Amino acid sequence: MLKLFPDDRPLVDIVKATKVYPPDIVAVQNISLAVAKGELLFLTGMSGAGKTTLLKLICAIEQPTKGVIEVGGRDLAKTGSAEIQQLRQEIGVVYQDFKLLPKLNAAQNIAMPMEVAYRDQREINSRVDELLAILKMTHKREIQTGKLSRGEQQRVAIARAAANSPALLLADEPTGNLDQDSANLVMDLFEQLNREGTTLIIASHDESLYRNSDYRRVQLEHGLFTNHSSPRQLPLINQ
Amino acid sequence: MGLKSYFHLKQVGHNFRQNWPTQLMSLLTVTLSVLIFSFFLLIYLNVVNIGARLGDELRLVVYLDNEVEPALQPLISSKISTYAKADKILFVSRAEAFIRLQKQLEKEKDLLTDLGPEFLPPSIEVYPEKSFRNFTRLKEFSDFLATLPGAQKVQYGQEWLERFGYFTELLRVIVVLSGALLVLATGFMVSCTIRLTVVAKESELEILRLVGASNRYIQAPLFFEGILQGVLGSSLGLTLLYAIFIWTRTHLGGSTFLNQLEYTFLPFSVTAMIIGGTTLLCAWGSLLSIRKHMRI
Repeated sequence: MLKLFPDDRPLVDIVKATKVYPPDIVAVQNISLAVAKGELLFLTGMSGAGKTTLLKLICAIEQPTKGVIEVGGRDLAKTGSAEIQQLRQEIGVVYQDFKLLPKLNAAQNIAMPMEVAYRDQREINSRVDELLAILKMTHKREIQTGKLSRGEQQRVAIARAAANSPALLLADEPTGNLDQDSANLVMDLFEQLNREGTTLIIASHDESLYRNSDYRRVQLEHGLFTNHSSPRQLPLINQ
Repeated sequence: MGLKSYFHLKQVGHNFRQNWPTQLMSLLTVTLSVLIFSFFLLIYLNVVNIGARLGDELRLVVYLDNEVEPALQPLISSKISTYAKADKILFVSRAEAFIRLQKQLEKEKDLLTDLGPEFLPPSIEVYPEKSFRNFTRLKEFSDFLATLPGAQKVQYGQEWLERFGYFTELLRVIVVLSGALLVLATGFMVSCTIRLTVVAKESELEILRLVGASNRYIQAPLFFEGILQGVLGSSLGLTLLYAIFIWTRTHLGGSTFLNQLEYTFLPFSVTAMIIGGTTLLCAWGSLLSIRKHMRI
């Protein structure tokens, strides 16, 4: 678990962030959001609402046009590339398009973030086996991900994001290709990670994921926050 | 450190499997370049060695009208030594020259039965010091010896020495050119291979960056790849050269000409330098390519 991030500040702090794609497509507009360490937050909204852009801003794939994005107290715009790389080892991301290597098998794909962090090979093997078992994918261990179904690929992508037991896990529509049983398995894994201290931001338009949960959720519409509900009220500003 | 190297080497193996046709082409280019360069270097070094061995036996022979009186010999020796230091100066009388000729003719010495030593000219044999054994200085020395009293002619194998000098010079140029070929071909090929690996791995590198791979994690395997190309290519090139050398010695060993040459393989220090140099060259090529084509 991440040692880079201090306890006394929000893990993710977005202040008046705007992202405009050329020529003038406004993806998110002047939004602010703070996510506390250990929180599980749902980011909801229709397709095109700006959820994916917001996640990309948090993991420094995109830079905001205006505003500040802080992760673990670091302003990402002022953070050097070496530190960003180190930061990414502590952030697990489930991409909407999975970003798997089709010629590598499921185990090799899941192991990748751990190899990048130079973990011990036995530790890597054991963690890969554990995640495959949780997601009921053990029998697909040695199969190239290019030959797996979309739902299976999604589960491999989720396992890869969870592999390093990251401090922050960002998931973009993590159950978009899954049946209800698989979606439940994924939610169980997310909750287990959350209990172990991982902060999660889950972008989803699948209402069944958060309908009966106590977790805070914020809704995006046309790049703006329109609604939020939470038993644990945290600063959420829409200016 | 050990763990990091393990992951880097694992990536190197992965790259070799993924991109093996290009890797093989690059390896063959390095091997061939090393083979061509070391082949000419081997010939050059052997020729230089032969030249040095022949140089030890180099002498200038001054043929005289009449024999030099023993009393005058120290005077003439001293005159020669004032111009150039000599290892040895021998005064050869007609009789001594005749005995030598008899020895050289061995079984055919009967030819000389009715002849006396009178038909042979007396001579002075001058064995110059090593510093005087280059072609220009020998020519000057020869011109000086021709001015000695009673000197008819001075001989030192001018024509042969001149040709040998030109041949050695030509070989030196070929070695330098093949060395340049080695540098250019190896550097270029390794650099291109790394470039192709980067292109082939573009999507993989993007994902590696997204999961937090450091520049070192991404670049180190490519750098090791260059080093490996250098070590393998140069070792393979030198092994081939050694095989050619052994084959030549075995199959052409009976030839009188080659037997006289007493040629040897490259010394260990030279082979180590070729392997080390090629490896450095390949490492440099890969580093150049990494810096040029990978913006992280």
